[in-house]
Amino acid sequence: MAIDSKNLDDSFAALAAFDWGKDAAPLAAIDAAVIATRGDAALRADLEKRFGAVLSSAASRAAKDYACRKLSIIGTAASVPVAAALLSDADNSHMARYALQRIGGPEARTALRKALESVGGELAIGMISSLADLADAGSVPQLAKLLTADGPLALAAARALGRIPTSESAAALAGAKVGGEVGRAVKDSQLSIAESRLAAGDRAGALALYEAVSKEVGEVPAGHRDRDVRVAAIRGMVVTRDETSST
Amino acid sequence: MTPAAQTSRRDFLGKTAAAAGGIVAAPYVITSKALGDGLTPPASDRIVMGGIGIGNMGAGDQNAFLGRPDVQYVAVCDVRRKWRDDAKNRVDGKYGTKDCAAYVDFRELLARDDIDAVHIATPDHWHAIMTIAACRTGKDVYLQKPETLVLRDGPAMIAAARRYGRVVSGGSQRVMEDYRGVVDPIWAGEIGNVKSIDIAVDGPSMSCYLPGQPAPDDIDWNLWLGPAPWQPYHPGRCDGNFGTKGNSWRSYFDFSGGSLTDWGAHHCGGAIFAADLREMQPEKATWHPAESGKPAWVSVTYPNGVEIHHNRPGQFQTVPPSLAHGNSIKFVGDGAARARKPVPSYRGQGGIYGDFIECVKTRERPFRDIELAVNTMTAPHLIGIAYRLERSLQWDRQAQKFLKDPEADRFCDRARREPWIL
Repeated sequence: MAIDSKNLDDSFAALAAFDWGKDAAPLAAIDAAVIATRGDAALRADLEKRFGAVLSSAASRAAKDYACRKLSIIGTAASVPVAAALLSDADNSHMARYALQRIGGPEARTALRKALESVGGELAIGMISSLADLADAGSVPQLAKLLTADGPLALAAARALGRIPTSESAAALAGAKVGGEVGRAVKDSQLSIAESRLAAGDRAGALALYEAVSKEVGEVPAGHRDRDVRVAAIRGMVVTRDETSST
Repeated sequence: MTPAAQTSRRDFLGKTAAAAGGIVAAPYVITSKALGDGLTPPASDRIVMGGIGIGNMGAGDQNAFLGRPDVQYVAVCDVRRKWRDDAKNRVDGKYGTKDCAAYVDFRELLARDDIDAVHIATPDHWHAIMTIAACRTGKDVYLQKPETLVLRDGPAMIAAARRYGRVVSGGSQRVMEDYRGVVDPIWAGEIGNVKSIDIAVDGPSMSCYLPGQPAPDDIDWNLWLGPAPWQPYHPGRCDGNFGTKGNSWRSYFDFSGGSLTDWGAHHCGGAIFAADLREMQPEKATWHPAESGKPAWVSVTYPNGVEIHHNRPGQFQTVPPSLAHGNSIKFVGDGAARARKPVPSYRGQGGIYGDFIECVKTRERPFRDIELAVNTMTAPHLIGIAYRLERSLQWDRQAQKFLKDPEADRFCDRARREPWIL
């Protein structure tokens, strides 16, 4: 397609000075170019480079937000280093993940795992959220360690492991010695993995997990928080056995 | 209600009577309302409810549930003080008490073991996280449409509902109540087999570049944004009016799919119900470029060949065998002889709200069960992505991905702002 370079240069100049409340009309040319360059690797690479320059600059949070959104559509492994550099920046960490999560691939996953080692608090939960969304099996050892971390991190790790349906995740969850809200999240994730196994045709594996959760929860009185978990496990056992007997 | 659920509610009342003495238990012991009468069931047989997000739509939902004799409404939650206070006052006024609890953070409401069900009418970016959290804490859910913001929300919500055996109803009352004039004749076979449907509704949401202002004291702005990207407070970002052309959250990409999913949930819902497509998801979206001065438009095609056309230019003249609902939905059939099919309907009394409450009691699946709602919303989501990418797409329902199209797959989900996790 034909791209008006001068027009695009002007638009990127406007982006460099952009902030919320400013005239966004000049950005329309960039919006159009992002879509229209599909199939043209050279033009896309040029755009990607320009967005990367915005992320590396002293541009406003709004401008970096915009660049990350566009990289979430066209970004490649080439943009991972510049986006990853923002993962520890509280103002821009989420939008960096917004781009990286959609870029995916080994480079983005590695960047998220690496950031999880170095950031703390809510930013770390953000990394966990993205790694869960990517079902990143490579992050299971890190997530398993976090099951004994402070409450919110452990809770996030427990939730994330349920969305990475590997045998390693299942083993980490089965070995977790945690109670309370994190303990319930662990069991919820075990149920989630059992569902994944069932969907994949691994009835024996699913049944084993359902039985393990049911046994671990044990008899609980009506009104007890864990009763729903036990009922869910028993329901899973019934469904799994039904499917087994009907095949 | 299941025996277990009945036991749970009664146990709670018994426990609170013992633990809290007269403070909580007294109204249930001494008032005629608590004991029930010919019109009102005793408190132990009422569904205990709370509401989350009680602005425009939420207030309507609250009033519908509050007016039911088989509901005991005990808690409200909103990040805006005025809406929260108004909602509490409506409850207290109804019961003549001051007992209704008011929360800023939905997690506190969901942590209560005495609540059986919640209704949720927040902006769309909260729907999946709140619905899943409610299922995990043993609540049934009435969720305003559009139920999903992104395609990935749907399977996660269905999984949570099914895992815990929760009743989760979508919230488009119009599907059954506004479109009966076309639903009944189509299910009766009057136009034969539906071949195509034209829907007229505005398009997808837009980016928001509004300036920032200091957030007023009466809103928890960080919690309003929740999993959406951070951006500065502006009243136009979070206004709950029904417009989609700006200055309302329904206008903006981070919080809504725009008219396409908002009114689209109704129109697509009505069309999909009338054509009996609720169990299906489209398998492709086709981009029709602008030509001859007419704007581009998109259609989706179902596995049985039925097409839904979104904003196809000039298609609202009805020539038999066709049928239209005003200027918003038009069905074209093949005119073939076809047996009449019974039209699925609500359970219980009181429209879609009564359907939900009846299903909470019986544990049946409601009229707009979350799975049917997710299937329905897949159509406007696919249409919206085709508009954004300006090209045709193929959808693999089983894999919940686009067919060999990693660029389009990127639009299935968005990273959630910390500390929120699906």
